[in-house]
Amino acid sequence: MTRHSNTRAYVALAIVLALSLVLSGAVGAFTFPPARMASYIAQGAGWIPLDTADTLGRNVFLQLRLPRVLLAALTGATLGVSGTLMQGLFRNPIVEPGLAGTSAGAALGASLWFVLGGTTLGVIGPLAMIGALAGPLLACIGALVATLIVYRVSSSFGRVNVFTLLLAGIAVNAVCGAGTGFMSYIARDPQARNITFWNLGTFTTADWRAVILVSIAFVLCFALALRDARALNALMLGEDEAALLGIDPRALVRRLLIVNTVMVAVATAMVGVIAFVGLVIPHVLRLARSSSYTWLIPSSALLGAVTMSIVDVVARLVIAPAELPIGIITAIVGAPVFLGILLREQRHGRIALFG
Amino acid sequence: MIELRGITVRAGAATLLDEVSVSFPRDRFTAVLGPNGAGKSTLIRVAAGLLRPSAGTVRYDGEPIDAIAPDALARHRALLSQHVELAFPLPAIDVVMMGRYPHIRGAPTERDHEIVASALEQVGMTHRATQPYPTLSGGERQKIQLARVLAQIWRANDAPSHRTLLLDEPTSGLDVHYQLQLLGTARELAGQDCTVVAILHDLNVALRYAEHLVVLEGGHVALETDASEALDASLIERVFRVRAHAVTSAPDEPPIWTFSL
Repeated sequence: MTRHSNTRAYVALAIVLALSLVLSGAVGAFTFPPARMASYIAQGAGWIPLDTADTLGRNVFLQLRLPRVLLAALTGATLGVSGTLMQGLFRNPIVEPGLAGTSAGAALGASLWFVLGGTTLGVIGPLAMIGALAGPLLACIGALVATLIVYRVSSSFGRVNVFTLLLAGIAVNAVCGAGTGFMSYIARDPQARNITFWNLGTFTTADWRAVILVSIAFVLCFALALRDARALNALMLGEDEAALLGIDPRALVRRLLIVNTVMVAVATAMVGVIAFVGLVIPHVLRLARSSSYTWLIPSSALLGAVTMSIVDVVARLVIAPAELPIGIITAIVGAPVFLGILLREQRHGRIALFG
Repeated sequence: MIELRGITVRAGAATLLDEVSVSFPRDRFTAVLGPNGAGKSTLIRVAAGLLRPSAGTVRYDGEPIDAIAPDALARHRALLSQHVELAFPLPAIDVVMMGRYPHIRGAPTERDHEIVASALEQVGMTHRATQPYPTLSGGERQKIQLARVLAQIWRANDAPSHRTLLLDEPTSGLDVHYQLQLLGTARELAGQDCTVVAILHDLNVALRYAEHLVVLEGGHVALETDASEALDASLIERVFRVRAHAVTSAPDEPPIWTFSL
């Protein structure tokens, strides 16, 4: 790590995040000025007495808007950190959960639950709680299997071959996509519509349950990832060099693959598949400051949250009163950026593509 | 003292090392010589604990390497590999700091930063400290990696512990000036409680700098000696498949070998 501290950059990012959260809370079908939002939050928390004249506004804000704002930010943070972790694990700057099959695997797992399990188990009272967790759990399993296949196929002798990685990613994505497609094909109409929406990523279904699940997964996984930041730095030199520095590279990769998968799968089970965020965020932060993971992991959480909050605002505004699915926006913006990154890497003759 | 006893390494059907037993004496400079494919890199990787042999034991000062915790081993044993590539534009100084990772609890201390600066200075790369590693030339990258391994086993202020530096063809890619400087550094370390083992290709350099010689041939030890005279023309001709001729320069100096096919 270079000697100057990253504190200033973190503070700047945190301020931008606070502003974008306020913006995200304010705009939409209902517009809430910041003072009113503060009042609602205080009422909801019981710090000040309830304002009986404004029940509708308060309920809309506390039950619909606020969870959505938080879920968007948490999802962004999750995808940002996940992109960073995967680029560290695969030792390559062009990897992200969407490319490596993680998201598609999670989507398949979750859609299995949507179509097959949700109807049979979810309605039986005491099992509803299991139902609430079974979706994310199946998503985790799907994501883990998909990611492991891609990792195993693309890594050999301590090195990751990027071409194999991308091809394996395409294959795994295709299989998972087919599975998800089949699920929506056999589903009865309302479920099918859910799957379609959810394959494009959406925050319209945000509720406090989703916020709580995603935040628990994110906080735990973020803390674990941060502990391994320096080990990930060492892994940049290859598995052998990491081992010579006293790190067990296999255990590290295993540990972080699980951490990453759990984080992405829980978020995916709640909001659907959102591509390119995990790819672009770490890249921007690398250019802005450094490739050290002690910087990238915290900053990609912050910038991911900022980005997703803004994307969500755009989704709410562009075709109001209807909404644009999140994944469409991130793909429209992210895919050209991704191509730009590829061109840049190629022009610099960077070994990056050959890991 | 690093002792390797009965080391056998197999890779598929091939036997890379066949019951090799050698010792790297404590605080001395050992040169490992041998033609391509003799098993030199394999031997040094086994000695570093990076490669687990199919059979045989490695002991550091009598202690089996398996009994030493990986992070404890990393604090006093470093290996300079041949080519270390990096797909990310990390500044050179960050790469050198990685050498301190086994010592860091929490965040790097002032002492860690000092050591990194000294290591950069020692390899003459202070002016390249902030440059992204992938943009450095091959020789400069080699120097940064050397700085990293030097930082890894930098002599502790308080408790002087015994150190090991393993070098896999350290002089490849370096100009003559830095080759001599690197070998001088290695020799100097060997005088300061550090066991140094280097794979070298230049016989004349090895004879000039090393105090202990190991010659490998096809996975076997062809020669292990403290006496440079033991490396005679017949052995060189057999192992390296060249004709060798010794030119005596000065009475007290080792002879300089010239080779022809």
